[in-house]
Amino acid sequence: MDQILENFITTLRRSGVRVSVSEKMDALRAAELSGYADRQLLKDFLSASLAKSLPEKEMFEVCFSHFFSIDDVEGEDFPGEHDATPPAVQGAAFLTQAFLAGDGGGLTIAFNEAAGRADIGSIQSPVQKGLYTQRLFRELGMEALNRDIQRLTEEGGQEALSQAQFLESMRDNLIERVRSLIQRQLNLYARRRLDELSEGYTRNLHLSALDTRDLARIHAVVKKMVKQLKDRYSRRQKAARRGHMDFKKTLRQSISYGGLPFDIHWKSKKMDRQEIIAICDVSRSVSNIVRFFLLILYSLNEAVSRIQSFTFCSNLVEASHLFEKYPLQEALSRLKSGAGLPILMNRTDYGSSFCDFRDQYAECLTKRSTVIILGDARNNYWNPRTEVLRFISERCRRLIWLNPETPSLWGSGDSEMKAYLPYCTIARECSTLRHLEKVVEYLLRVN
Amino acid sequence: MSMVTEIFSTVERVRLGLKDVGYIATTQIAHTVYLAYHLGKPVLVEGPAGVGKTELSKATASFMGVPLIRLQCYEGLDESKALYEWKYGKQLLYTQLLKDKLNRIIEGETSLAESIDKLHQYDDIFFSPQFLEPRPLLKALQEKDGAVLLVDEVDKSDDEFEAFLLEILSDFQVSIPEIGTIEATSQPFVFLTSNSTRELGEALRRRCLHLYISFPDQGLEREIVRTRVPGISERLTSQLVSFIHQVRKLDIKKLPSVSETIDWAKTLVLLHAEKLDREMVRNTLNTFLKAQEDIRVAEEKLHALTEHALREAP
Repeated sequence: MDQILENFITTLRRSGVRVSVSEKMDALRAAELSGYADRQLLKDFLSASLAKSLPEKEMFEVCFSHFFSIDDVEGEDFPGEHDATPPAVQGAAFLTQAFLAGDGGGLTIAFNEAAGRADIGSIQSPVQKGLYTQRLFRELGMEALNRDIQRLTEEGGQEALSQAQFLESMRDNLIERVRSLIQRQLNLYARRRLDELSEGYTRNLHLSALDTRDLARIHAVVKKMVKQLKDRYSRRQKAARRGHMDFKKTLRQSISYGGLPFDIHWKSKKMDRQEIIAICDVSRSVSNIVRFFLLILYSLNEAVSRIQSFTFCSNLVEASHLFEKYPLQEALSRLKSGAGLPILMNRTDYGSSFCDFRDQYAECLTKRSTVIILGDARNNYWNPRTEVLRFISERCRRLIWLNPETPSLWGSGDSEMKAYLPYCTIARECSTLRHLEKVVEYLLRVN
Repeated sequence: MSMVTEIFSTVERVRLGLKDVGYIATTQIAHTVYLAYHLGKPVLVEGPAGVGKTELSKATASFMGVPLIRLQCYEGLDESKALYEWKYGKQLLYTQLLKDKLNRIIEGETSLAESIDKLHQYDDIFFSPQFLEPRPLLKALQEKDGAVLLVDEVDKSDDEFEAFLLEILSDFQVSIPEIGTIEATSQPFVFLTSNSTRELGEALRRRCLHLYISFPDQGLEREIVRTRVPGISERLTSQLVSFIHQVRKLDIKKLPSVSETIDWAKTLVLLHAEKLDREMVRNTLNTFLKAQEDIRVAEEKLHALTEHALREAP
């Protein structure tokens, strides 16, 4: 098999592009078609047959330019033919002899072999540069070279000194070469570690401990997520229950065909759009998650028929009008600052907030509504009033509790999660974008 | 050398051939189409909506002079809609019409078993190709002179359908239990398009070549407009393309697609526009922005956008 292509595919694999055997065969045939003369043609052919998604394409782009530029540089041999003085030093090191003899080809081979033995392709982070440089020096026999130079200098004499000087300049040249090789390898292989972080990392980031510089990135991911969710679910208002024949209807229709079941009818069921009542704790511990949850929920308004949102801390207030009046982003920031809302930001009290809801908004609850409560259930040792949650739970289709804490912490300290748990249809941990996505997906799927 | 192999002899010919049928391809697109033909592999085309993914396969079909067979994917698409179905109605009708014939055949037989034996001599007459309704996939395999098969928005279909597609894409044959295996007489040229609604499976990706089409740069889009809207002035083309490219940078719900650029260009030509002016742009925004909110966003920045476009192409 083509050695260059083989090496290139290895490079791609190390950078995280998955290449199967069949794809390798395709690439080989593609390279045969294109040849290596037209760089653009080769690149497009290989890109079509090896990189199969957008992130992979980007990685391919980087690898291709690095890989083929490296080949150009490495093709350059060590300088040969200088006024070769036959080695005057007995028992000299390989490097000394090769330099003095002007054996450029031999040096190039030795250099590449040493690079292979030092396994510099495995370098992953800039802090390893020193380590791999030292390793390559050792493989090259740098120590012996230094010893020879030392000896020649000590020996003195015109010829020996000029040889030592020559060797020194060659050594500096070699060191430079090693450094730049390692830098290139680092660029080639270690770059993806950073790239890899981007989306998958963002989705698993803890939302409660957010950095402001992550915000833009998170918004981009949320936007993409919402688009995906929308595409997936907006078209299934009516999910046909496949495989079930509507026998009665078929028989009725068959009368016009003389009793033959000519026209077959299938059962289908209507999908209702969700009515969602979101009750969110806006105390500092969960406010970030509330923000993103509402962002996703309101962006999906086409798939959901009605959203009512309530926020609470010490008391509970309705916040739906904010979303009707202002654009989404502004409504969310108003919600966070609490501007224009009669909300008391003292200690969180779940019990009395639930009572507020029951007393003022109980008529919102219908058999079609899904109640989602977002909060950590840390009630500051007030009365949890579980009977009020039960009242709510009995009057809605389902009650979902999203808790930013991990389940092992539920019920510890002032958390009343264990007490509320029996009245929840489901309770989930919800601290990252991925969790949020799962929940929203569940909401769109169930009926 | 046959016609088709001849038009695929060089990359340049592919590019020019596509241009002749009105599709301005980047070198990357031309290279991929050329490669796909020579490797006999399907092409998976991805990219944002409206960059001409579907258009590419239409252009390829008319460039090759073969029919385009299109399979639009959606949730719940299954074999009976994609591959083949029995013509149940026709089968029922024929059994009724042929009742007398059937009676005569089994006349004289006394037991049920004998009658059935007798009927068996006539093979599976009701499960023969005459009663088969070919759907797009089967149709594409049956085309004598080859065809371009477009599996549109494959990401909208279910996982099961994707798995089912694998079989056809790798062997170009299907087996129908009652009839046997049907093999492609001439291998169709297959395009699959995807908007990445969901991640496609690794297996499907492995079997295809991959092409990512992004929005064209200004030079290319100008060329596209020139080809598709003959009679448009050079100045107007540059201005409107520059305008569209700025709109694509705005934070809006749906970016204007290439086909919408063309629509807008046609509209402006109809209105006898010589150059962009703000009032005309305001009145025709709805040709390329299809959501009220997007139009509002663009209207707010209308002045700056128009000025910039006019400055770029005075």
